[in-house]
Amino acid sequence: MAGLATTFGSGAMTNSINEIENAEVILVSGSNTTEAHPQVARRMLEAVDRGARLIVIDPRRTRLAECSHLHLALRPGTDIPLLNAMMRVLLDEGLADDLFIEMRTENFLALRDMLNRLDLAETAELTGVPLPLIRQAAQLYGRARKAVICYCLGVTQHVCGTENVQTIANLAMLAGHIEKEDTGVDPLRGQNNVQGACDMGALPNMLPSYQDVHNEDFREKFERGWGVKLPEAPGLTLVEMTHGGAQGSIRGMFIMGENPMLSDPTLSKVEETLRGLDFLAVSDIFLTETARLAQVVFPAACFAEKSGSFTNSERRVQMVRQAVPPPGECRADSEIIMELSRRLGYAMEYDSSGEVMEEIALLSPIYGGMHHDRLEQNWGLQWPCWDRNHPGTPFLHKYYFTRGRGHFMPANHTPPGELPGPEYPLLLMTGRIYHHYHTGTMTRKSERLTRECNQAVLQINPLDAKAQGLRQGETVRLVSRRGEITLAAGITDQVEPGMVYTTFHFAEAPINLLTNDAFDTGSRCPEYKVCAVRVEKIMDS
Amino acid sequence: MVHAAAATHSHLLKKDHLKGFLRKLAKEYRLVAPVRNRHSDVLFTVIDDLDAAEIELTEPPQNSLKQFFLPQQERLYTYTTTAEGYDFQPVQATIPPTVYFGVHPCDLSAVLYMDVVFSRHQRDPFYLRRRQGSVLIGVNCNSPAPNCFCNATGSGPFLEMGSDLQLTDLGDRFLVEIGRAPGQALIERWQVFFSPSADKDRAAHYQTFLEARGRFSRQVHVEQAIRQLEADTVPEQVWTELSLRCQDCGGCAYLCPTCTCFTISDQQLDDAGGQRLRSWDACTFAGFTAMAGGHNPVQAKTGAIRQRFTHKLRDDVRQNGRPSCVGCGRCVGICFGGTDIVRFVERACQGSL
Repeated sequence: MAGLATTFGSGAMTNSINEIENAEVILVSGSNTTEAHPQVARRMLEAVDRGARLIVIDPRRTRLAECSHLHLALRPGTDIPLLNAMMRVLLDEGLADDLFIEMRTENFLALRDMLNRLDLAETAELTGVPLPLIRQAAQLYGRARKAVICYCLGVTQHVCGTENVQTIANLAMLAGHIEKEDTGVDPLRGQNNVQGACDMGALPNMLPSYQDVHNEDFREKFERGWGVKLPEAPGLTLVEMTHGGAQGSIRGMFIMGENPMLSDPTLSKVEETLRGLDFLAVSDIFLTETARLAQVVFPAACFAEKSGSFTNSERRVQMVRQAVPPPGECRADSEIIMELSRRLGYAMEYDSSGEVMEEIALLSPIYGGMHHDRLEQNWGLQWPCWDRNHPGTPFLHKYYFTRGRGHFMPANHTPPGELPGPEYPLLLMTGRIYHHYHTGTMTRKSERLTRECNQAVLQINPLDAKAQGLRQGETVRLVSRRGEITLAAGITDQVEPGMVYTTFHFAEAPINLLTNDAFDTGSRCPEYKVCAVRVEKIMDS
Repeated sequence: MVHAAAATHSHLLKKDHLKGFLRKLAKEYRLVAPVRNRHSDVLFTVIDDLDAAEIELTEPPQNSLKQFFLPQQERLYTYTTTAEGYDFQPVQATIPPTVYFGVHPCDLSAVLYMDVVFSRHQRDPFYLRRRQGSVLIGVNCNSPAPNCFCNATGSGPFLEMGSDLQLTDLGDRFLVEIGRAPGQALIERWQVFFSPSADKDRAAHYQTFLEARGRFSRQVHVEQAIRQLEADTVPEQVWTELSLRCQDCGGCAYLCPTCTCFTISDQQLDDAGGQRLRSWDACTFAGFTAMAGGHNPVQAKTGAIRQRFTHKLRDDVRQNGRPSCVGCGRCVGICFGGTDIVRFVERACQGSL
């Protein structure tokens, strides 16, 4: 989010998902797309069938990597050197788009000087990817007429997540691969409405529609709309809130639809913080690990039990319509908030989600033309949609970047917060699998999905497994400086020697007891993708 | 053949009177037909209000009739926990006699296939109580959709037998052929709606058939793929490549009108008892064949895909003399990875060149 906002001025997919089908080159970085975004992977594979070249940057040999033409299996945490090396190749081979750089961007010289100082061979060495492969990827990407970069949490969940994204943006601008249809930079969002949550200001420093809380004019607009005085300072980020400690400055919390007791790094600290609160309220559709710690639990309605709109990864706002009434005492989140607010002395009186949408259109320029009657038609609208007659925007940055000129933000290699050493010799990456969603609050209640997969598996290379004498499926202990868990070993060459991989879906093997709470200084996103661990064989006693 | 068969038992129904005829049927039957909903999707739907329903007879419906005879999830038994164990009681259901109107030849063929699965060797009472008392009124396909290939599976575009009544759109009127006794009974009961067909109508019917046959946009060599499977000459590479691309969503099996695999699970509802459910399953899921200890007799990577296509195209030909793929093209539209049956047939045939 922060990375694209500083370079392009807008933190969202620049393309529509369907445009990916028409790209000539697709560069996928840090995204296990077939498992995490199958509907996007479908477009990628469709493009490949039409002759597109697929380049996958991923430490693991994912299924998409197997389907790719070039797989750059980098060392985790070396995205910046890898992309810098690609950019240097573009410069050296005259594949930079000089006209685009001149007309549409700024701060190019800083990037050029940084790139020219690079020792290519050394940089390639750092990433673990052979230089000829990097060169080939750069040539493919640079020469394409239509090229798309898709990235996901493998890029952002690092201490240098913001710089990683900025470097991706640098690459796209250097090659002039932005502003056109079927060409751009596309962060893939993990949830149906995480884009919508950001759009509505569920960020510490933004009011809805990315209106900075520091800006007095923006604040005043919302103060008039809501009839209250708004704080001038930004709020806290997620990890600041959940890692405050037992005596943290936050004394009460209301958590909605989130399960930090499984999803946040260094769980022992999260538990200490939540238990140390004076008051915790949680609203969720099931009694999650987090809800168990709450004094008050609000049973929430699920997507099929309420009406309103969701905003997906491609900035598309679509209606969701109530199909069944909520069971028992469950209520829609909006009703819970309104009722809570009323009892706290601020009456929110919205009769329908349509009325809320009218207020959104009034106060949030990029949603300016979005009203329920328009969203009812076809497949909704993509922001920015400035007024009632605006058709919505399939791809961003045509003619000019949201922030005016695209800003090059050169970055250098930042090593991960924790790397393997003698005591903890393996590098742990975490992620997701096809059959489960996040902390399993919903998916682990499905008989069919749990039949497909119902336990945490630690992917480990055959060489490492052999060194420890592990058998397939054997229960092993995984230990980091912060904690330990037990889980099943899955021996596979999908991971390189020296790396292990697992998921965070399973409460009985809560991997985030182990992960590091180092975080990115820009976005405050935790480094879920790299920490140091060791695997121990469990001896029979 | 089509021409000759039509000669004896055909009638005409003017399009103007279709709604009137359906209204009469709706008085005595539950009526199910392809209806275009407000999101412009065409789905087989139970019609409560005939005047509000937009019946669509050309565009193929997204669902098939499978869900009406084998619901996606069906409660078979309830049980109570007793001191001795469990006491199971079958769930009684009264299925209203239903007319399925506007069924395309592929979906009709699929119902005939399901009849074989659920009644030839063992009679499945839960299927049969939904199937018995149902009347099938088919409509031949004058313009096959882009993904259709029923011409290659012998199940379309026109059907000569299997339905109770079979309609062919001749512009301002339908030619109505009688397939089975219940169809004959409907015509006799509501004969005021029908008039005898003339030679020119039957000629128009034959002409329409010829034109429809020429309107397929795909040439899918199903026969050749069947021969390859029978001779076991499908290159190994085809299986590995397809299974790499399969994203394991199960969409093909769920949408397929002839995929009838199911699983049975018991759900405890409270301390006193629970229910036994039957739900759709898919052979492409690893859990379909995995055993309790985790061992899977089907080699996960390529085995599931191999199992699916071999069953559809080879085993069913051996058992029933025809493939259980009816060429409806639904899996082609839904497949995430481009590993649908058409893609398999194309790849398998390329391998033989």
